[in-house]
Amino acid sequence: MLHYIGNRLLIAVPLLVAVSFVAFLLSSLSPSDPAEVVLHAQGVPGITEGLIAETRAALGMDRPLLMRYGDWLLSAVRFDFGDSYITGKPVWSLLGPAFLHTLTLTLVSAAVIMALSVVLGVVCALHEGKPTDRAVRGLAFLLTAMPPYWLAALLVWFFSVKLDLLPTNGMDDGYRSFILPVAVLAIGYAGIYFRNIRSAMLGNLNEDYVLYGRASGLPERKITLRILRNSLQVAVSVFGMAVPIILGSTVVVENLFAWPGLGTLSVKSILSRDFPIIQAYVLVLAVAFVAFNTLSDIVNAALNPKLRRER
Amino acid sequence: MNKSILFLLSILIVAVLALAGCGNDAKNDAKNNANGEASDKALVYATSKDINDMNPHLYAGSIPAQGMVFESLVENTKDGIKPSLAESWDISEDGKTYTFHLRQGVVFHDGAPFDAEAAKLNIDAVQANASKHAWIKLSTKIVSVDVVDTYTIKLALSEPYYPTLLELAMTRPYAFLSPRDFKNGGTKDGVIGYHGTGPYQLAEHQAEQYATFTSNEHYWNGAPKIKRITAKVLPAGETTFLALQKGEVNFIFTDDRGADSIDVASMTQLTDSGDYRLVRSEPMNTKMLAANSGSANSPIRERAVREAIWYSVDRETIGRDIFGGTEKPADALFSPNVNYADIELPKRAYDPEKAATMLTDAGWIAGKDGEVRTKNGVKLNLKLYYDANSPSQKTQAEFIQSTVGEIGVGLALVGEASASIASRRASGDYDLLFNQTWGLAYDPLSTIAAFTSEAAYLHTTEGMANAQDLYAKIDAVTVSADETARRSLYGEILKSVHDEAVFIPLTHGNVTVVAPRDLQGIAFKQTQYELPFEQMYFE
Repeated sequence: MLHYIGNRLLIAVPLLVAVSFVAFLLSSLSPSDPAEVVLHAQGVPGITEGLIAETRAALGMDRPLLMRYGDWLLSAVRFDFGDSYITGKPVWSLLGPAFLHTLTLTLVSAAVIMALSVVLGVVCALHEGKPTDRAVRGLAFLLTAMPPYWLAALLVWFFSVKLDLLPTNGMDDGYRSFILPVAVLAIGYAGIYFRNIRSAMLGNLNEDYVLYGRASGLPERKITLRILRNSLQVAVSVFGMAVPIILGSTVVVENLFAWPGLGTLSVKSILSRDFPIIQAYVLVLAVAFVAFNTLSDIVNAALNPKLRRER
Repeated sequence: MNKSILFLLSILIVAVLALAGCGNDAKNDAKNNANGEASDKALVYATSKDINDMNPHLYAGSIPAQGMVFESLVENTKDGIKPSLAESWDISEDGKTYTFHLRQGVVFHDGAPFDAEAAKLNIDAVQANASKHAWIKLSTKIVSVDVVDTYTIKLALSEPYYPTLLELAMTRPYAFLSPRDFKNGGTKDGVIGYHGTGPYQLAEHQAEQYATFTSNEHYWNGAPKIKRITAKVLPAGETTFLALQKGEVNFIFTDDRGADSIDVASMTQLTDSGDYRLVRSEPMNTKMLAANSGSANSPIRERAVREAIWYSVDRETIGRDIFGGTEKPADALFSPNVNYADIELPKRAYDPEKAATMLTDAGWIAGKDGEVRTKNGVKLNLKLYYDANSPSQKTQAEFIQSTVGEIGVGLALVGEASASIASRRASGDYDLLFNQTWGLAYDPLSTIAAFTSEAAYLHTTEGMANAQDLYAKIDAVTVSADETARRSLYGEILKSVHDEAVFIPLTHGNVTVVAPRDLQGIAFKQTQYELPFEQMYFE
């Protein structure tokens, strides 16, 4: 098991180094002069040649690319991503809280998605082809097909404006702030993932051990539990996949609910070309992807001894 | 093994729920308004951008927020320059020395006194970062600031400069911050606090969420009636609309890019509900297309092409249908209520036939059935850049594309972020782009000064037949001490850019406020970037 974990972690290192280099290159690939971009980002109304040269030197942009990359990477390892062009504050002081806000939203949503997917998947698999199964799948299809933008607006209008039950936006109202954004995220993703659970369950239903269990007269409840346990592996993978994907795609929901998270921050930084934030964002997201994939591989390996023996 | 995984999972879920519970306790002011007395009602305004770094000597901060917190020596009003932190001033005979008599007893929000010493430190701090302030010509003329006595300072200029008071009145950079907030004796490396002398002080700031301002009870002009103003960051217009309906937010106004966060239909719906009312300012600026006359190869360098586009833009329809009648069509770069702009200029009303004739006369041969015109094998294709965040610019661009298409001009539309459009303007990599004049307090001075600035309109103006002559007049007008001479120079400058059609005016923008029905005292300043919140009160 330790060997397996070690292997998984070793693969992650070169991957992250490559991603970090590409992220760093971003600012050099931009067609406009980074120093000029910084000045525009700071809203300076009149930009002169002298000011551009001054800014370039202040940002250390007159040094070779590889040297700048080396310095940046060494600092990045210590969570020092430099200062934002716009606010002048350290990137981590902006990205850190935003990351926590999005991570919280993502984890709550992923937990809801997993719970919903398992319940719906199991119910549908047990009632395969019957009206319950059809109704759930039909409804899921409908809800998943709705653009999250529209769904969110509808939910806010109904629950916040009409019924006055929940806040329309923000995250300063405790758990009540979470209900609508989590609902929008969960509806979108659970509608996709419950199908994985359902088909995993269906696959297991036809396994020999089920037939044998029935033949030996085991109570149906126990057989279902067995099948569920074996299907849970899929749920773990789902969870592992869902977390980084949601982490990187909350932008629509965050924008609508004014959630001060990564999505809002990244879009704002991209629009204003705040490169230190963009670079750190790409890197943080890549680390999150790799970490959650590795984590779900490890949990799966713990659940299924067969995986551990494979290389 | 299974049990440990279950254990891990349950820990994770508990941790997540705990995190979720740690939400901020900040109560929403607007929500409590319903039961509150008029006096403790608060304003909560929606803004798409955070207030950002409020350092008044730099440009990253939100101008409306800076306007509440910081003040200048003088104020630009409809009736001219009025006292603010300076009670009176004397200008020397030669126009090179300004002596300001400061208001006594004014204190910064942190208790530090506002006196000649503090004023000098602030102006020196701005001057120490002069390269960032190249747009404001005063920064290149100040030689020294001297403390005469506790409440008197003397500003020495290198040459007479008539817009001195106008530029001192601007929200930034000549605004006053408590010297205790300075870092390394100045402000260019940042500041450690935002204590001004204004009617409101910054009480709390959660970056990218909200900022709360409370009234300055020791304000020299009397404590404001509204005690609490919150700027809430709402990036999406849909959210703003829903939050206004619910009352979580109760105030919005046109932002510094001239964009409203919700469309005209939503505003009408809000006012129809009876909870809100709409207040509009007089014209504040002019929205226009800047044409790159300095372009080396593009057809736009020809005056006939620019004029033809002007004639083929239906500004009446834009004002009526795209802005729902809220913006009036513009016939020139400046509206007549702008200083020095009340002059006779030939109108170019919507006239597609005349536009087509002009193009034909200039050698642009019409193709068959709506094909793009050509001249010596070159097609009459142009690119128009608009701000991708502004729905109204996109609609206008599409409308203009269709009307100029009818006279055989191929117009490609490109939506980009505002920063990117600013870079194009600076590098000259455009044919046409959306822009707006700087606004009443700055016009015509700042917009005209920007004609010669590489970062602004140099590429727009440099291809004009008489460009050098124009630049000489612009240099002359700011140092001219004689009002009559100044008026005639401004007239000539405005006439030449009008004749050359380098700025194609569209509409006059104004500031639109959506406010609670019982909010009184809503007024406007001479700038589209600020509102006098201190004059507002609930009935």
